[in-house]
Amino acid sequence: MKKILLPVPADPTVTIAFSFAIGSQDDPPGKEGLAALTADMLTQGATEKFLYEEILEQLYPLATDYDVTVDKELTTIDGRVHHDKLNEFVDLMTDAVLRPAFRNDDFERLKSDAINFVGNSLRYSSDEALGKAALTSAAFDDTRYAHPVDGTVAGLEAITLDDVRTFYTTHFVQARLTLGVAGGYPDDLPDALETGCANLPTGKSHAPPSIDFAPTTGRNVVLIDKPGADASISFGFPLKLARGEREFYALWLANSWLGEHRHGASHLFQVIRETRGLNYGDYSYIEAFPDAGELQMPPVNVARRRQLFEVWIRTLPNDQAAFALKAALREIDQLVEHGLTSAQFELTRQFLIKYSTHFAPTTSDRLGYRIDDAFYGIAGAGYLENFRHTIKDLTRREVNAAIKKHLQTDDLMIAIVTGDAAGLATSLTSSAPASIDYPNPMPAEILAEDKLIAAYPLRVDETRIRTRPVATIFETT
Amino acid sequence: MAPGIIPFPVETHQLDNGLKLIVVPMPSNGLVSYWSIVRTGSRDEYEPGRTGFAHFFEHMMFRGTERYPADRYQQVLIELGADSNAFTTDDLTAYHATIAAEDLDRIMALESDRFKNLDYSETDFKTEAGAVYGEYRKDKTEPEFVLYEAVRETAFECHSYGHTTMGYEADIKAMPTLYDYSRRFFNRYYRPENTILLVVGDADPATVVTGIEAHYSDWQPGYVAPDIPAEPEQTSEKRVDTTYAGKTLPLLWLAYKIDRADPGNRLRAATDLLVELIFGETSDVYRKLVLKEQSLEFLCADTNSNRDPSLLDIYARVKDPDSIEAALTALDTAAARACEQLVDAGRLEKLKTRERYAFLMELETPDSVAEAFARPIAIDGNLSGLETLYRTYESLTPLDLRDAARQVFRSDRRTVGTLRAT
Repeated sequence: MKKILLPVPADPTVTIAFSFAIGSQDDPPGKEGLAALTADMLTQGATEKFLYEEILEQLYPLATDYDVTVDKELTTIDGRVHHDKLNEFVDLMTDAVLRPAFRNDDFERLKSDAINFVGNSLRYSSDEALGKAALTSAAFDDTRYAHPVDGTVAGLEAITLDDVRTFYTTHFVQARLTLGVAGGYPDDLPDALETGCANLPTGKSHAPPSIDFAPTTGRNVVLIDKPGADASISFGFPLKLARGEREFYALWLANSWLGEHRHGASHLFQVIRETRGLNYGDYSYIEAFPDAGELQMPPVNVARRRQLFEVWIRTLPNDQAAFALKAALREIDQLVEHGLTSAQFELTRQFLIKYSTHFAPTTSDRLGYRIDDAFYGIAGAGYLENFRHTIKDLTRREVNAAIKKHLQTDDLMIAIVTGDAAGLATSLTSSAPASIDYPNPMPAEILAEDKLIAAYPLRVDETRIRTRPVATIFETT
Repeated sequence: MAPGIIPFPVETHQLDNGLKLIVVPMPSNGLVSYWSIVRTGSRDEYEPGRTGFAHFFEHMMFRGTERYPADRYQQVLIELGADSNAFTTDDLTAYHATIAAEDLDRIMALESDRFKNLDYSETDFKTEAGAVYGEYRKDKTEPEFVLYEAVRETAFECHSYGHTTMGYEADIKAMPTLYDYSRRFFNRYYRPENTILLVVGDADPATVVTGIEAHYSDWQPGYVAPDIPAEPEQTSEKRVDTTYAGKTLPLLWLAYKIDRADPGNRLRAATDLLVELIFGETSDVYRKLVLKEQSLEFLCADTNSNRDPSLLDIYARVKDPDSIEAALTALDTAAARACEQLVDAGRLEKLKTRERYAFLMELETPDSVAEAFARPIAIDGNLSGLETLYRTYESLTPLDLRDAARQVFRSDRRTVGTLRAT
């Protein structure tokens, strides 16, 4: 068991986190969704002492609850409570993690919720989230990263309550646990929590499953055929770089210039949205960013051994999809060829030094980063501090070298949710320029650049396009 | 009097042109949140064909001035490393930036300039319309959005709350033709008398006042209030059944007419607490339908706090398409019981505690404080309404909640909406 303490005496609240090195990568084949469902059984189910409805009743006046984030590699149960209410909360939360009852009625309810989410919501309610999940699935095909964290319909349907019990006993062990306590907590709280965790099996250190995916070669396309849909595009490729390496910060800076998440600093946003009004936003990433549509700042506790370089082109009309894709690829090619100019480099560095002060404004956020530090093996002052120091003393040469080394557009996975799979397959493989019309007269320099974008060769071979019906995506390979 | 709900000092100031300033100093590691709250939202879209315009106009506010053209404006935000954005609701449009305290004067210069001198070309206007259409495209795939849009439209005869903040698709499509109207919109509503600045964080109130005086005093007043038609009294139940071209569990939505948000209105405040006790996670009906019988996958209820009379929404995801009517009956039974029986006084006291602590827990960062304060400020025009509201909550009894139930839970004043997959 690892322990992370982050005392902030002035904070009137206390945050407690139980973070386990367990994720959807640990789902047994055929039982995809087991890790997430087990985690839900802890946070939304009965304990040995109380029914779930009794837990809700007791949490009620505490004005809080505990929640779980499950990702590919980590399952983190955390909660924040006002110090006035700490004791009641600690009892409820530790019981949930350490003494679950695994009742059948909770199981039926949560399994049904999960099947509805994966079968309906993930597929139909947000094309953008679907496109992102499809990209991850395709890029990590045939590995334990491929299926959605919440599972597959077939996998969830196959899970029994005994599977949940067994998974809990074998995986929720001390050897996989990082315990975090932060905020204005009393001195004796960490030891009390640690003592309580002795209730879990000791377990032993484990080797996570291999994520050795077949390298992507050439430009590959997955079209998710969803009748009536506009186009939502995500593309990218696996990176050979992890948080903590100096090159990582260099690439972060480059990516911030290219596609800072939901910020006008994003160059892709400027090219596709601001100048041309094609959609609502265009961003890029070098680390996983689940719930990107909801969040402004990078999330915590979604640490992964393998990351994607990923571009997100938000929903646009199907007949503009090929043009937008060309525009984004062309910008990346230019970035790789020319690197950042001195002015771009300096401005982005200045931006990040200040912008990173918003990454973790709360004690809970800072604890989340510390937990991720434990995952990545970042010692000392930790990632947030390292980030600011390293960004400050990076050179343009380093940044441009990292761009050249890690970014490219030759070998890509492209996922597009679309209501016009046939039309899109034709336009992606066509050598004819992609046309674009505007509702308004555009300045000559934009139209001139449009011609270059339209003529950009997509180089997608028709044998590299797979079309998957939305109803069965993620279910079979 | 009990100590107030807001655990920070609040300094207010008003300029001669009517602009109000509220400064809330709080320790925040050198960060300051700077919010410009315009008391205009989709509520102000009372003219035909103009739905969605307040939200669209929010986008136009980023299209620059003579001094700071759009790219220069963006450049300054990048230099400041600002965490900034904007959003529109039915009653307000908020522009917010969290920055280092040392950059406060620069953000005042930048923000005051666009509120005073916004100037964009017709080309930029049309280009931005494309981005707004893109925002609609991404939202329209959510079944909740489809039903929400239909219920609102059905519930209101003529009030502008009948459409969502996003607006109708036909109106969004026509937006590129409304350049001249956009200038009128700006001149009517983006005025100091209709705007409140909220500054939260490591900021000295006196310094902020001096800065605001320097940057905003020459902003010309001239607000023209919108001519929003009053919604007639609803006299019979309305129903709207919609379909969704995708897979979803069936949805059920009940929308009851309620009074406008008024912190001193006991029955209106009681309605806030009532829905939580009758339909919330610890209610009998939630335990029965969601946890035990599991006929509903999800159930939630909430009151909308609005400047004009609005809706109480009860929303459920039903597992079996054939059980929608049974779910409706069960929810009706719960509402009817609330009109007859008094809620348990102990549960009410627990809820009051919960409301108070939940509010305090929200006040974590300058941005979260400003976000929690923005809506009350837009509705009441000040922060004292918030204190009044929590005092009213504290004083409520089970009798108040029963009276509220009798006032609100009337089928002739509600709209029932359903959504099924095709």
